[in-house]
Amino acid sequence: MALIELKDINKTYNNGQPLHVLKGIDLQIDKGEFVSIMGASGSGKSTLLNILGILDNYDTGTYTLNGTLIKDLSEKQAADYRNRMIGFIFQSFNLISFKTAVENVELPLYYQGVSRKKRHDMAMEYLDKLGLTQWASHFPNEMSGGQKQRVAIARALITHPQIILADEPTGALDSKTSVEVMDLLTRLNKEEGMTIIVVTHESGVANQADKIIHIKDGVIGKIEENEKHDAWGGSLIK
Amino acid sequence: MIRDLLHEIHSTLRQNKLRTALTGFAVSWGIFLLIALLGAGNGLMNSFMGNIADFISQNVSVSGWMTSKPYAGYKENRLIQMDGEDVLYTESDKWGGVIGDITLETPSTSVTLSLDGKTVSGAIVGVMPEYLEQNKNKMAVGRFVNQMDIREKRKVIVITLAQAKELSPKDPEGVMGRWIQAGNISFRVAGIIYTDERSFSRYCPIPYSTYKAIYDSSDKIESITFTVNGPTTLEEHRAFEDKYLKGLKKRHEVDPDDRRAFWVRNGYTDNLEMTKGSRILRIALWILGLLTLVSGIVGVSNIMLITVKERTHEFGIRKAIGAKPGNILSLIIAESITITAIFGYAGMLLGMIGCQVMDKTIAQDSVDLGFEKIQMLVNPSVGLDTALEATLLLIIAGTVAGIIPAWKAARVKPIEALRAE
Repeated sequence: MALIELKDINKTYNNGQPLHVLKGIDLQIDKGEFVSIMGASGSGKSTLLNILGILDNYDTGTYTLNGTLIKDLSEKQAADYRNRMIGFIFQSFNLISFKTAVENVELPLYYQGVSRKKRHDMAMEYLDKLGLTQWASHFPNEMSGGQKQRVAIARALITHPQIILADEPTGALDSKTSVEVMDLLTRLNKEEGMTIIVVTHESGVANQADKIIHIKDGVIGKIEENEKHDAWGGSLIK
Repeated sequence: MIRDLLHEIHSTLRQNKLRTALTGFAVSWGIFLLIALLGAGNGLMNSFMGNIADFISQNVSVSGWMTSKPYAGYKENRLIQMDGEDVLYTESDKWGGVIGDITLETPSTSVTLSLDGKTVSGAIVGVMPEYLEQNKNKMAVGRFVNQMDIREKRKVIVITLAQAKELSPKDPEGVMGRWIQAGNISFRVAGIIYTDERSFSRYCPIPYSTYKAIYDSSDKIESITFTVNGPTTLEEHRAFEDKYLKGLKKRHEVDPDDRRAFWVRNGYTDNLEMTKGSRILRIALWILGLLTLVSGIVGVSNIMLITVKERTHEFGIRKAIGAKPGNILSLIIAESITITAIFGYAGMLLGMIGCQVMDKTIAQDSVDLGFEKIQMLVNPSVGLDTALEATLLLIIAGTVAGIIPAWKAARVKPIEALRAE
């Protein structure tokens, strides 16, 4: 059974003029897959990611995540599912500026009610994994982009989520750091079997994934198997 | 979890120290004024009660006065003179124990007191032994008129300390036990009443029976004073007064609706009115203080609204990683309560210090009313109960101030919040 199952997802925004953004999306993603979603701006890829991340709701269709139907959830339930099942990685990192690295990583566990000591230990463990131990008590503005994104990845991983959703994870990083971050995600996928979905418009980034989903005008165009990582010549260097 | 919340609050509040301080100042000021006002109010009440308590005796005193209506062939403005019959009326069984101790006072007769060639003016008045207690007089030396004096119509007199000083400047207390002349009659001084600064009194009490025998065989009575048991409320006292006066009016052929014919001073109702007055003053001060505090609360609320707007993006992040609306709501309200409570306590402390300063300065001043000196404020301070009430008030105020901002923050959709800058 697929980890993520989308059936005929439709979404219309009603801001003055109705805008039909997603027009019947059908998609299955299995556990352990590394998928990238590509599309031009306005194609609906961000909306799709928001729906996958339970940040936004959809009008018709069904979305099942790990056997749980995600539909018409209360804010509270949605928050709980996000907290336990999904790890987010954002383009702009979205770390809380007045919290140190370790406090940022701890935060999802705080909302789970994990004790202070335990969540601190866990956060330190994850920072260590990502080579950030010495940065634990630093504030985000004292760190480089790559370091910030690694803190964000640690924060995404700490709750052992079902999926990692990355929205343009390299968008704010230079090429070298981009490679590092993508390598990190690849390693997480290969070594720990983490299901990862990356939304991007950069072909080099998309090429790291095993499967590339092209979305255009609210429908899925084609799904490319990319086991050999040879789409567009296979280079991440921009 | 509380510790975590406090940690969260600490890290956000230190973000903008100046703003937090300015916001807090409004609350501090509000509470400071509330406490200072209540303290000054208490001081005023203490002073008032302290000064008045000496005048107000717990009893009812009735005197004849002047009619305001014509009745039974009499014209209005007729002077009413009470007499011994009225005393019997007051003593009668029909009051069923409601009327307790009774004392009376005859009209006074002016005399010149003289001793060893020295003279002083006085006013002889016939009294019962209870007069001393009912008038809140205190003996400087000797004793007051007693039952034996009444029974034996003894020629004893009680004079004031001021009179004793006139008669015997070197040894005022030595007048005790000596025979002095009052007009052409000799009395033995049984005691000397202590007179304080505020008393002008030149009344010289002698036994009622003696007065009747010497000065007035017609048994005129100036006033009847008695204690009352039973009535507790203002209404009950008024009803009792009406009932009591009804009989008097009938005896003296006064219109039952005449409100002026008898003069009644009711210490019980005076006291009730005063208690009511002090309660009203207290309420008024609370309202004033609260209104001041409201501006502080509005300030906190306002700043929290701005904060919430600025932190929308942060709330988006928190929501994305699993913060429930309730988490955000409690975070903001807790922040609001923290600001309000910390600064409120500072204000309360300052208010209490302010009360102490008042006690040491303004309260030491007294106002000279000519016949007496009044200390304006006595022990201006607020009790522990007020401090506890103020604490509760602060928590409520903080919650109120935080509710709208918190609700706004909790309601914002995560994607919109994430999009905000």
